Amino acid sequence: MSAVLELTDVTRVHGEGPAAVQALRAVSFRAHAGELVAVMGPSGSGKSTLLTLAGGLDRPTDGRVVVEGVELGALGNDERARMRRTSIGYVFQGFNLIPALTAAENVALSRELDGVAARTARAEARRVLEEVGIGDLADRFPDDMSGGQQQRVAIARAVVGERRLILADEPTGALDTETGEEILRLLRARCDAGAAGVLVTHEARHAAWADRVVFLRDGRVVDETGAESVDLLTEPAAR
Amino acid sequence: MSASTRGGWRVALRLARREALRRKGQTVLMLVLICLPVVAVTAAAIVWRTQDVSSAESVDRRMGSADALVETTGADRVVQGFDPYDSFGTFGEDDLSPGPNLGRGDVEAVLDVLGHDRPVIPLDRDSRLFETDRGVGDMEVVTTDLAHPLADGLLERVEGKYPPGPGEVVVNQALASRGPGIGDTLTVIRKTADGEKTLDLEVVGIAESTENRGYELAAGLPGAFGETENPTGRWLVGGGPVSWDDVRALNAIGVLVASRQVLTDPPPESALDPVAGGFDEPVDQVVVSVLALVGVMVLLEVVLLAGPAFAVRAKAQAHTLALVAAAGGTPGQARRTVLASGVVIGGLGGVLGVGIGIGIGAVAVPVAQLFDTTRFGPFDVPWPLLLLVAGFGFLSAVLAAVVPAFSASRQDVVAVLAGRRGERRLSVRSPFLGLALLGAGVAGAAVGAGTSGRGGGAGSVLIAGSALVSVVGMILVVPVVIALVARSAARLPLALRFAARDASRHRTRTVPAVAAVGATVAGVVALGIAVSSQEAANADAYVPMLPDGYGSVALSADADRSAVVDVLGRSLRDDQVVDVRGVQTSTDQGELEFEFRQGGDVLMLSHWGTLGSSYVVGAKVPDYVDLSADARAEADAVLDAGGLVLMRSERSYPEGYPAPELDGGPVTVDVRRWSPEEEASTATDVASAAAPSAVVEVSRSSPAVVLFSPRLLERLGLETSTVGMFIYGPVSEEAEKDLQEALAALPTAAYLYVERGYQPDAAVRIVQVVLAALGGILMLGGTLTATFLALSDARPDLATMAAVGARPRTRRTVAAAYALVVGGVGAVLGAPVGFIPGLAISQPLTRSWETGATAVDVPWLLILTVVAGLPLLTAAAVGACARGRLPLTARID
Repeated sequence: MSAVLELTDVTRVHGEGPAAVQALRAVSFRAHAGELVAVMGPSGSGKSTLLTLAGGLDRPTDGRVVVEGVELGALGNDERARMRRTSIGYVFQGFNLIPALTAAENVALSRELDGVAARTARAEARRVLEEVGIGDLADRFPDDMSGGQQQRVAIARAVVGERRLILADEPTGALDTETGEEILRLLRARCDAGAAGVLVTHEARHAAWADRVVFLRDGRVVDETGAESVDLLTEPAAR
Repeated sequence: MSASTRGGWRVALRLARREALRRKGQTVLMLVLICLPVVAVTAAAIVWRTQDVSSAESVDRRMGSADALVETTGADRVVQGFDPYDSFGTFGEDDLSPGPNLGRGDVEAVLDVLGHDRPVIPLDRDSRLFETDRGVGDMEVVTTDLAHPLADGLLERVEGKYPPGPGEVVVNQALASRGPGIGDTLTVIRKTADGEKTLDLEVVGIAESTENRGYELAAGLPGAFGETENPTGRWLVGGGPVSWDDVRALNAIGVLVASRQVLTDPPPESALDPVAGGFDEPVDQVVVSVLALVGVMVLLEVVLLAGPAFAVRAKAQAHTLALVAAAGGTPGQARRTVLASGVVIGGLGGVLGVGIGIGIGAVAVPVAQLFDTTRFGPFDVPWPLLLLVAGFGFLSAVLAAVVPAFSASRQDVVAVLAGRRGERRLSVRSPFLGLALLGAGVAGAAVGAGTSGRGGGAGSVLIAGSALVSVVGMILVVPVVIALVARSAARLPLALRFAARDASRHRTRTVPAVAAVGATVAGVVALGIAVSSQEAANADAYVPMLPDGYGSVALSADADRSAVVDVLGRSLRDDQVVDVRGVQTSTDQGELEFEFRQGGDVLMLSHWGTLGSSYVVGAKVPDYVDLSADARAEADAVLDAGGLVLMRSERSYPEGYPAPELDGGPVTVDVRRWSPEEEASTATDVASAAAPSAVVEVSRSSPAVVLFSPRLLERLGLETSTVGMFIYGPVSEEAEKDLQEALAALPTAAYLYVERGYQPDAAVRIVQVVLAALGGILMLGGTLTATFLALSDARPDLATMAAVGARPRTRRTVAAAYALVVGGVGAVLGAPVGFIPGLAISQPLTRSWETGATAVDVPWLLILTVVAGLPLLTAAAVGACARGRLPLTARID
């Protein structure tokens, strides 16, 4: 199985001199096609930094980030933006939909930015919205939707255009239990369909949807466990 | 444009449109900032174009219902533009020319060209004096058959009827209000070589001119007002269109033609005689350049005023832009998204501004007509110009979004997504570049000031360009100054400290507001210095003729002295008026000329005077000549010895021509008389004599130049008469007005002069008040915008303040402090920048042709008002307007 995402000895330092903070320290990590990897760890452990590096929104201070065989560090701003339009999808905790765009327009955004005709992009968006179960809400604005509906739109936005890497940062954090489970089911289904997923979460029951769980602390990978032991998941330090 | 760029713009415009709808209050503010100048210029353009009557629009008022208005010139031939009012040239006006030289009675020659079956009526315009209730007034007279269909449209009948007979006239309301109404008698006065004649006419109607309003006007049949002195003839011609070929044919016999057909549907320019094309005045490149620079300055001001609003909009969109980036948007896409706000607001603002401007123009036209004596044309909307104005609005909005757009494209996406925001670090290069531009502005202004002649020239363009460069330099310095103010705010009270630091933290929003205030203040200071300096130069060049409040009357050779004395006696005491006797230089026999020589040198004397002659006579120096006792004694002694006294003051002589230096020896007086013929006048020596002389310095210009002793004039054989009267002051302005009107009613000329000292042009004061008001409005606008945007931005901080116990008035204090920071920093930066073009432009404006001397007058009060008063006033206004209630929402980021 080929790795869609590959981090090799990635270090990220914020600031300089005495104020420097090491968010990630020589982290190596892979996510393969069809695999959902959960990343867990306490606040400040570097989970979100790992996701921004994987998404090409930030550059590592050291190490390599490779997505679908392309090293992001070697790309310029525009090329990395193109990667986010075609290969990488983001799902945020706070939904982060653009309030001025309808659900379909939010989903179609990356396709339109990629030069796809508006009509085609929207048709594609509607199809993905159907897949996530809210095809009838395509013309609604985010302010007129519930949290669960907004997060479904966010997932649709992340997967539209057959993107192969889905990065989800606490996607259920703002949702009730039942809706959260539905969202994770969608994410799981997308990975089962061939995408690689990285799920940042605090909750063990959410990590149970993953194939593997990676534990981060103080910017280092401190443990990694398989999906079969998901019921026993606790933080390594607590074990 | 690639597909992804097209797609990017599509998304950006959609986002901008929706954002505009979502943030309605902010959008309205942005629209107001963009619309206001568009509205003002549109309304002004409509008033201007409506009051500007084109040739085609003026056809009816000039020729009634006729097809042409033709006028003989007395020349052999003429060359004219399509409208002879705009341009024409005559050829062969002298007796040597072989042409027909058509005159008043030669309408037959006109009809030979146009056809004898055409109806023709004469039309003439002239001026006459008439008796008013209080004296004599001027009026315009129109003579034609007003009842004839061809004259229909020349006048608008208001009341009564058009005159059916030669002894009857119609008058307009302005004339009727000064005396004769319907049924009354209008007494017309004509001064001819044979003396004054009066003519009584019966007023049978009231009619208004379709061309002018306010001026007194009377109209009657040809000859109703007596014979005109105009040697040319004018006729209204009917009977069908007069073509351009007809016009050319009439031009060939010296007749000018305004043809309805040609004016309303002119032939191509190529039909014009090449000579007529040369009549057009060339476009003044300097004026065009200066206007273009003024346009750029206005654009810059609008951009700076609107800049904070776009900065805040971009900041509000920061999260959206970060999400777009997360979805694959490039930094260029972020730029496009913010610029699209400019496109949407600019497009809407331009269209809306033009629409509102047209509405306001429609209301303003009748108001403007009240202040203009020329009747306006039909309501005129200059669409091509308005398209440019709307384009100006569009461009200003897009430019206002440029800096926020570039800032947005450089934002830290991860920080924004994580809820952290902040300004980028200060640019190190910008302040240095700003200082370099300021230096270049000073240098350019200095060079421009040195190379300009009086009144303008290429140097003025350089100065205006330097002003622009200086303002741009100032803008680049603003961020570092804001940062310095914030750093030095540690000891300031809480509100000021908060405002200064907040201004520094949000420089993208603060800098354009401060720069807008700075640019406004710079403009006000520059124009203020220019206007004051020019006024100072004018005041310095003023030469008083008499002591302040004193007067004189100049009498012509045929003046009736006793009648003048009677008139003066009505308003003045007897002891205020003394006769001045002298040599009357203008006589029926010709003009007398005096020349004064000492040795071989001809003395150059001032010939200014307010009496009927500059050469007066007296056995002693009259007491109205202001002299020291010693000088008076010396002058009296010379007069006693049969000599002459040359009176002079430093200001009697043009700059560069020093007053004559005399050695006290005899001066030779040569008298010549020029024959009365206007052309080919010849001079005849009348007399010459040498006499002792004295030069006396008077503290101001004397009403006369030379004081002759009676004995010297006797030797020269010259007669003396009362040439004028000196009036001891004070003469009140009311008495002066009464005397002027009463003297004008006398049959012979007597001119009253009363010295009032230098009278500053009222327009200058108006300009200064308007400048201060405009500065205040722009400063208030810029400061208010920035302050309220800042308050909206600082809502979480203010909520925190409320949570820790701040009183409600804290919000007001913070608002006032923010206004003070923006207004104060802007004013303090802008004022010195304004000095650069202000001092420079004062040089060419005030430079003397003769000496090259210049004047500079700095209007300190205006500057103090703008720099200190306005920021405080603005802060007080903002503090008063701001809501006192503190927000209680919790912080969400």
